[in-house]
Amino acid sequence: MTVQAPEQPAQPGSLPAAVAPPSRAVSPLKTWLRRRDLDLWIPGVVLGALLIGCFIVPLTGVVPDPMAGDLTQTLRPPFSPGHILGTDTIGRDVMSRILYGGRTSIEVGLAVNVIGVVAGGFIGMFAGFRRGIVDSLIMRVLDVMLAFPALILTIVVATYLGASMLNVIWAISFFSIPAYARLSRAVTLKLREQVYIDAARMSGRGDWAILRQHIAPNVLPQLATYSLLQVGIVVMIEATLSFLGAGEGPSQASWGNMIATGQTYLSTNPALVLVPSAFLFVTVVCLNLLGDGLRSRYGRSV
Amino acid sequence: MATTTATLEPSGPAPGAPGAARSAFGRSPALRMIGRRLLLAIPVVWGTTLLTFCLMNLLPGTAATALLGDSATPQEVALLNHKLGLDQPFLTRYFDWLGHAVQGDLGTSLASGQSVTGLVLQRLEVSAELIVFAYLIALAAAAGVATLAARKPGGVADWISVTLSTAGLSVPPFVISLVLVFVFAVKLKLVPPLGFVPLGTNLGWNLRTLILPAVSLALGIFAVLNRMLRADLIDQLQGEDYVTTARAKGASPWRVLLRHALRNSMFGLLTVAGLQIGVLLGTTVVVEQIFSVPGVGQQLLSAIQNEDVPVVEGIVTVIATITVLANLIADVLYAVLDPRIRHDSASS
Amino acid sequence: MTASDAVPAAASAGGAALLEVRDLSVTFASDRGPARVVHKLSYSVGHAETLAIIGESGSGKTVSSRAVMGLLPRTAKVSGSIRLNGKEVIGLAEDQMRRHRGRDVSMVFQDPARSLNPTMKIGEQVAEAIRLQSPVAKRQARQQAVELLGRVRLPSPERRFHEYPHQLSGGMRQRVMIAIALAGSPKLLIADEATTALDVTTQAQIMDLLLDLQEQYRMGLILISHDMGLAASYAQTVMVMYAGQAVERAPVRQLFTGVRMPYTRVLLDAVPRLDLPPHSPLPVVSLRAPDLTRTAPGCAFAPRCPRCADDCRQQDPVLEEHENEHAWACFHPEEPPARQADDPGRPEKTVRQGEATVREVHQ
Repeated sequence: MTVQAPEQPAQPGSLPAAVAPPSRAVSPLKTWLRRRDLDLWIPGVVLGALLIGCFIVPLTGVVPDPMAGDLTQTLRPPFSPGHILGTDTIGRDVMSRILYGGRTSIEVGLAVNVIGVVAGGFIGMFAGFRRGIVDSLIMRVLDVMLAFPALILTIVVATYLGASMLNVIWAISFFSIPAYARLSRAVTLKLREQVYIDAARMSGRGDWAILRQHIAPNVLPQLATYSLLQVGIVVMIEATLSFLGAGEGPSQASWGNMIATGQTYLSTNPALVLVPSAFLFVTVVCLNLLGDGLRSRYGRSV
Repeated sequence: MATTTATLEPSGPAPGAPGAARSAFGRSPALRMIGRRLLLAIPVVWGTTLLTFCLMNLLPGTAATALLGDSATPQEVALLNHKLGLDQPFLTRYFDWLGHAVQGDLGTSLASGQSVTGLVLQRLEVSAELIVFAYLIALAAAAGVATLAARKPGGVADWISVTLSTAGLSVPPFVISLVLVFVFAVKLKLVPPLGFVPLGTNLGWNLRTLILPAVSLALGIFAVLNRMLRADLIDQLQGEDYVTTARAKGASPWRVLLRHALRNSMFGLLTVAGLQIGVLLGTTVVVEQIFSVPGVGQQLLSAIQNEDVPVVEGIVTVIATITVLANLIADVLYAVLDPRIRHDSASS
Repeated sequence: MTASDAVPAAASAGGAALLEVRDLSVTFASDRGPARVVHKLSYSVGHAETLAIIGESGSGKTVSSRAVMGLLPRTAKVSGSIRLNGKEVIGLAEDQMRRHRGRDVSMVFQDPARSLNPTMKIGEQVAEAIRLQSPVAKRQARQQAVELLGRVRLPSPERRFHEYPHQLSGGMRQRVMIAIALAGSPKLLIADEATTALDVTTQAQIMDLLLDLQEQYRMGLILISHDMGLAASYAQTVMVMYAGQAVERAPVRQLFTGVRMPYTRVLLDAVPRLDLPPHSPLPVVSLRAPDLTRTAPGCAFAPRCPRCADDCRQQDPVLEEHENEHAWACFHPEEPPARQADDPGRPEKTVRQGEATVREVHQ
C-alpha cells in the first residue's frame, strides 16, 4: 500500500479534527453559562444562602420557635404581618419551619452520603485491591443489593424502624452503599495497575498503608463528585419518607411533613404545600446543577 | 423491529441457514447472559424476603397489638399471638412462610384473614394499569420531545425538554402529584382530585381518575428517557456516518431523524425504560396514597401500619420479583433485538 | 479496463461541463481563528470523465467534495461557485439541495462499515435510496434494489437483500454503497476514498466496477484519494491538493511523465516500488501539517519544500496552466525530463490506450 504522508491524526475522508464542529448535545445556553462559571456560581450562591438560612440565622434568635403554635394565628397566608410565609394549621410560623426543615433535609443528605462514601468507598477499595475470592464475594453481594427495589424497601425499613431522623439515615444509607462501593472498586482497579509497581518497590509497605496513602486520595475525589449528584436524590427520598410519616414526628419540622399536613388544605391554603415544595425544588435543582457542573469539569475518568 | 415481508426469495425463510443460526445463538453471549441474570435473580428475591421478614419481626409489638388496640391486656395479646402463630421462633416462621411462598401460597392476612395471594393480585391489576398508563405517557412524550429537541438544539422544543427533565429529576413525585392536583383538580376542576373508577365500570372515568397519578409517575421516567434519547439522537446526527449517507441519498432531515436515528435509539430507550421499573414501583406507593388509588402500593402502606406481616411480605416479594424480571427482560431484550447479535453468522 | 480515452479537462471542451467549480473556499471557525480548509479551488469535470483528486488528510479534498453535495456542517462558511449541470449549488436551501442529491450527484464514502445503518437490512437501505429518487411502490423498489445489487456484482442479491451490514465483507458493503449511490442514476459520482479501507484485490475489483458503471451510466467520476497509484491507473486527469489549494493539475500521462510541483514529487516518491532493492528506505519529507489559519502570504508548502526559495515565502503561487493542460502553482517547479519512460528515478505508470493495462504494482 502507499505510504500515507504522515502526522495527520484525522482519518482520510473525514473532516480534519481541528475543524470538526464543536461538540454535541450541549445547548448554547449551557456553554455560555459554563464559560463564565455561572453554572457553578448561581446554584452555589443559592445553596450557600440556604445553608446560612438554615444553620446560622436561627442562632441569631430572629426566628420564632418552629414548634410553638399560636392558636390565634392559624392558617395565615404568606406576607401576613409577623409571619413572612404565613402560619400553619396550629399557628406555627411557616418560615421558621422551613428553615429548620431545611436543616433536616441537608443533614440527612450529607449524613447519608458521608456514610456511603466512607463505607461504600472502603468496601470497594478493599474488594478492588484484594481481588480474588474476597472481591468476587463482595461483588456478588453488591450486585444483589443493587438489584433490590430500593425505594420500596427503604419505605418499609424506615416506616418500620420508627419515626426518627437517625433511622431514616440508616435506611437510606444502606441502599446507597452499593453504588459507592462499585464506583470505588472500579477506580481502585484502575489505580492498582499503576500503584502496584511502586508498592512492590517499596518493599515492606503493608497493604493498608498503600490503600491509605495512595489509593484513597485518588478514589475520594471521584466519590465526592458522584455524591454531589446523590445528595439531591437523598433529599428527595427523605422528603418522601417524611411525607409518608416515616421520618421525624409531625411536630418536628421537615419539608415532607409540612407538605403532608398541608395536603388537606390544598384548596384553601395552597401555600402550605407550595412553599415547602418550592424550597425543596430549588434545593434539589441547585444540588443537581452544581453536581453537573463539577462533573463536567473534573469529570469521571472511570 | 420492522421486518420486510418481501418474498423475493423463492425458497426458504429467514436470513442465514436456520441450523447455523441456532447453534450460533446457543453459543452466543446473549444466552449466557440471560442464564447468568436468572441465577442472580434468585438470591435477590430471596434476600428481599429475608430482609423484610427480619425487619417485620425484630421490632416491638406485633400484629396482635395493632389489631387489638391500646386497651388490650397482655393476656389478650398473648392469646391472639398464639392464635396467629406469632409466638413461634423466628426461623420457623420464616421457613414456613418460604415453603408456602414458593408454591404460590403467600399466606393469609392477619388483619382480614383473606388469602394474601388473592389480595395482592386484585390490587395488582389496578397498579398495573396505572403503571402501564404512566409508561405510555412517558415513552410517547420522551420520543416526541426529544425528537423535536434534536431537530433544533437550542430551540423551543429543546427548552421544554430541558425544563421538564429538570423538573422530573428534581421534584419528588409526591410534590408533582400535589401540584398537579392543585392545578388541574382544584383550580381547573378538570379531573377529580382523588378516587378511582375501575376499568370495567367506565372507561372515561377510569382514565380521568388515573391521568393525574399516571402523569406524576411518568414525569420522573420521562426525565430520564428524554435526556438519554436527546443525547443519543444528537450524537447520531452529528457523529454517525450512516446519517451522512442518508442525507447523501436525498433523505429529508426529518426522515433521517425518524427513520434512522430514532429507530436506532429505540433499543436503548426501551431498555432504559424497563430498568426504571424498580424506582417506578416505589414511587407508585406514594402516588397511590395521595390519589387514593386502590393499588398494591396503598395496600403496602396500610399493611405496614397494621403490622400485617404476611401481606407486607407478600407484596414485597411480588414487587421484588417483578423488578428483577423486568430488569432481566430489559437487558435481554436489548441483546436480542440488536441485529448484530441476532444474526451472528458472519458470511462472506 | 482502462480509463476511457475521452475528453480532456472539460474547461476547454466548450459547452457546459457537468461540474464547474470556481474559486471555491470553505472556512471553519477554530480556536486559533478561521481555518481555510479549501481556498480558491477551481476545477471542472465533464460528462463521462474521470478526475482524480489527490492529497493528504487535511488537504481539503474531502471538504470540497462535500461542498458539491451540500453536506457540510452549518459552521462552514462557503464562498465561490459550484455549478452542477449549469445550476449554482452554493447558497441553496436544504430542500433545494436535496433535489440534486442522488440525482445529479452522488457520493460513495470511505468506510462502508460505518456508512451503512447497522440495524437496517442492506436491501432496505438500497430500496430507500430508490424510493427517495422516484415515486415507486415499496414492492417495486425492492425489486429494483435487487436488480441494482446485481448490477454492482453482489453475489446472490436476493439473499443478501435481507442481510445486515455486519454480515457482509468489506468489499460487499462497498458494493452496496455504490448501489445506493447509483439509485438515482446520477450524472456525477464522487468516490471519496472509496477503496482505502479495502484490501488490494478488492480494491482493484471495486475500481473496475466503478469504471464499468461509469461507462454504462455515462457518469462523470471523481476519485478522491491519497494514493497516486490509484490515480495513475484509473483517472484521466489528476489534480493534486495541498493545504486546501490545487497545486498541480494535468492529464494523467503528463503528470507522471513530467512532475513539476515538488509536493507532487513527494507523493510520487512515497509510493513503494518493486524495482527498488528490498529494505530501501522510502523518502519521506519531514513533517508538520500546514497551518490552515495562517494568513501570511507565501506558498503553503514552503516549510517542507526542498526547492523552496525566498520568493516562495513571500508571495502566493497561483495555479496557472503553463503547458498544454498542465497547470501548477509553483515558482520553482522541477525541470521536465529530457527523455521519457525508462528513467528509473521516476515511478511510472503509462496508460497504454487500446491495450490492456499493465498494472505495475505500486501498492
